[in-house]
Amino acid sequence: MTNQQDSMHACPACGLLCDDISGDAIARQQFSCGKAAKFYARVSTGAQPQIAGRAASLTDAVAAAVAVLKQANTPLVAGSSTDVHGARALVRLAQQTGSAMTHMNASSTLRNMKVLQHRGWQTTTLTEVRNRADVILMIGTDVVTHNTRFFDRIVWVDDAMFTDPAARKIIYLGGDKLSTKPGVSPDGRAPEVIACAAEHLPEVVATLRALVMDKPVTAASVAGIAVSTLKTLADTLKAAKYATLVWVSKDLHYDHAELTIENITETVVALNQKSRAMGLSLGGSDGDTSVNYAHTWLNGVIIDAPEWESHDAVVWVNSYSPDAMPPAGTGPVIVLGAPDSQFDATPAVFIPVATPGLDCNGQQFRVDGSVTLPLTAAKPSDLPTLSQVVALIEAQLQGDLA
Amino acid sequence: MITLLKNAKVIDPANHKDGVVQDIYIRDGRIIAKPADSEKIGQVHDLNGKIVMAGAIDMHSHIGGGKVNIARMLLPEYQAMRRLEEPEAHICGANCSHHATPNTTDTGMRYIEMGYTAAFEPAILAVNARQAHMEMGDTPMIDKGGYAMLGNDDYFLRLLSQNADQKTINDYVAWTLHATQTIGIKVVNPGGISAFKFNERRQDLDQQHSHYHITPRRILQALSRAVNEIGIAKPLHVHCNNLGVAGNFQTTLDTMGASDGLPMHLTHIQFHSYGTEGDKKFSSAAANIAEAINSNKHITADVGQILFGQTVTASGDNMMQHLNAKVANPKKSVIMDIECDAGCGVVPFKYRDQNYVNALQWAIGLEVFLSVDDPWRVFLTTDHPNGAPFTSYPHLIRLLMDKTFRNDAFDKLNLDAQAMSNLKSLDREYSLYEIATMTRSAPAKLIGLQDRGHLGVGAAADITVYTDQADKEAMFAKPDLVFKDGELVVKEGKVVKVVWGATHTAKPAFDVGVEKDIKQYFDRYHTMQMNNFKISNDHIAEDGRNHVINHAQG
Repeated sequence: MTNQQDSMHACPACGLLCDDISGDAIARQQFSCGKAAKFYARVSTGAQPQIAGRAASLTDAVAAAVAVLKQANTPLVAGSSTDVHGARALVRLAQQTGSAMTHMNASSTLRNMKVLQHRGWQTTTLTEVRNRADVILMIGTDVVTHNTRFFDRIVWVDDAMFTDPAARKIIYLGGDKLSTKPGVSPDGRAPEVIACAAEHLPEVVATLRALVMDKPVTAASVAGIAVSTLKTLADTLKAAKYATLVWVSKDLHYDHAELTIENITETVVALNQKSRAMGLSLGGSDGDTSVNYAHTWLNGVIIDAPEWESHDAVVWVNSYSPDAMPPAGTGPVIVLGAPDSQFDATPAVFIPVATPGLDCNGQQFRVDGSVTLPLTAAKPSDLPTLSQVVALIEAQLQGDLA
Repeated sequence: MITLLKNAKVIDPANHKDGVVQDIYIRDGRIIAKPADSEKIGQVHDLNGKIVMAGAIDMHSHIGGGKVNIARMLLPEYQAMRRLEEPEAHICGANCSHHATPNTTDTGMRYIEMGYTAAFEPAILAVNARQAHMEMGDTPMIDKGGYAMLGNDDYFLRLLSQNADQKTINDYVAWTLHATQTIGIKVVNPGGISAFKFNERRQDLDQQHSHYHITPRRILQALSRAVNEIGIAKPLHVHCNNLGVAGNFQTTLDTMGASDGLPMHLTHIQFHSYGTEGDKKFSSAAANIAEAINSNKHITADVGQILFGQTVTASGDNMMQHLNAKVANPKKSVIMDIECDAGCGVVPFKYRDQNYVNALQWAIGLEVFLSVDDPWRVFLTTDHPNGAPFTSYPHLIRLLMDKTFRNDAFDKLNLDAQAMSNLKSLDREYSLYEIATMTRSAPAKLIGLQDRGHLGVGAAADITVYTDQADKEAMFAKPDLVFKDGELVVKEGKVVKVVWGATHTAKPAFDVGVEKDIKQYFDRYHTMQMNNFKISNDHIAEDGRNHVINHAQG
């Protein structure tokens, strides 16, 4: 069985990995998503390796990177904006150089991981939501800021197996500067918006959980929200056939936000005692799910938290975020990354590598974790892949050791 | 180059050899007949009568895929920093695990060190197959393969509820094998994973699914017939309804009849052999189950033995794992509904010998092993990591081979559990020949690996050399030598060379016209394209280490 050559491209610009991007849409630059438009507009041509800002051959740049790594006592592999194959290569490089390995989204990833490692959770995936969810509660997020096409692809679809998609109840609970228009149903029904600032979500979500668990709540209001409103919400969740509680870890960026996430996931656990509900963590970008997953199966543990101050060299990979760089003052920095990288401070070494899904093929995890999709080169280029460059670095490190 | 294993004491049930001393010649990864005297022998290992068996094959072990990786993420407390030596240190970081949640390198290394040369992931969610293959591709030393889960996926349940003809079902099953690069088909809690999504909490064999109005029995009939008619070797791999429930032995007995006499494999049958007798309403029904296996020749089973200690259970059966989550230890768990395809449940467990239920579970598994007559139809598994990590196989083998050792262990159990088990009345001690049967010849035959699991001419040279010892745990924990495809990879229980193994598949012929409807289903209801669901040989082989070995069927 061969995969047909005319298959659509999967877009790695966010964690949703929409795989309905035709070659024609890319050629005409016609997208319903700004993130996709930006991604496929990127230009890889003309990039060349650099040493301290000066053009260099690949061989010399690799040698310079090796020299930096050999001098470092505690290097860090960071950024890690890549796909599964890139993640495998970076894990090897980290092992060989004794580096810690983190990701540019580590703080939001680890916020979720703290909850998983403390209590676990009960979650679902996009196709289940598309076909089952009759109530979708979004907590502290509008989702679309991160996953532009969430409503188009998952919620307001033409067909669903077990529910009437147009009749879904959409509820926003808290959050800052939400775009709630995508939550309006195709027939013009407005979503319910229960407003509070994100910083008040800890007490609001804790109250919701208590109400779902039938605990007595004596206050009349919490963070300006009437408890009766939350009680109605709790009853709506209990009555749902398949309630889906959505959060985006990046949008819960206050201290100890993991406790809010745990209150969301434990609300789901409480609901599942009698009815059906599931959690859904969305957002995701820069291959964060792929990198954390591959790191876990290769090393047995999740990615590390970044501790910039304790490292004396950084390998930085920014394939999906050409503008992203490590914090100022970190260094020396070896960038193995986007050919269209933008540097505020000149890195010690820059080796442009192929971006999976744009310049080369690859494989990427979707944000819901169970689905992995092949990435195909939308505009094939002859840039080396991250794996190839890491292999060159490894070979020289090993050669020098031998 | 020819390698010669001289004076091997061969135990090779597939070729009816029980301790025959002979020479074995290997060339290009295969066992060959004695070459002409003129041919040059490159390497000679004089074994002086050491025991030689084919490499062992674990036909049911959760080694890769979503739920295994969730277990790793869930349980950082199982990880320990280890100082590794070359060549393992070359490919494995300092974090190596407690063996309940090994990383991929650890998995391959620990298997090969015990003389296992292949392991099969028994619960690949079709939609998650790409991840499972990535993890297995990163598992060194051993061959891999998997069974794709069907029977709770909405596409199949829709077919069945619409009374699709058997040919359509057969084509879909064969299509799934191709698309997921697997070698067998598994059904987990038939209909139950789906029913849980509709808020059902139990699914009995003859109970109608609340939405589709079909029974698990009907699912088992359709799938076992499909597997039989498309002609793959591996019988339908069945995780019965009602896992872990007191009194579930009746479901298990009834399930044996559901395939109308077609071959069917009942997996981790220990978890499905429980009665309701006694004060605690939980008892052993191992005798009933073993008797039924003995008399139903179309049935095979693996045991899923539990052993005491900390482990984690990872199952597709989210319906029953959702119940088990209440007794998680440590107290955390993951339950998932997945893609209108299946589900999963990951629940850490600590089996304790002073706990009545756990102690009896231990005894029930051993009772099944010792009461099933035919070692070709009962397989040695712990359902890794669900009953215990696979690294406990040598201990389990000693329990089977050494009655005194077994009875000493029994005497330490919870006293109420002792009173409810007939284990001490079972005098059987497995022979080396029987162990070789259940860990080599029989799994190769069951899965359809014609050139594995035996030492005849033409077989792949996956070979394990042991020193016969009174302490069988010591013997099986540390083979003297292990050869993988003819290469010496383990010496004195230590890996000396890293190799990567291959992925075994079955790809029976089917009518590709079935794709038209499948594509419509994907376009109408799914969140990915059908073409992206399918995994190519190139995807298996990428990163240059793995490759597909397809086994001709029929």
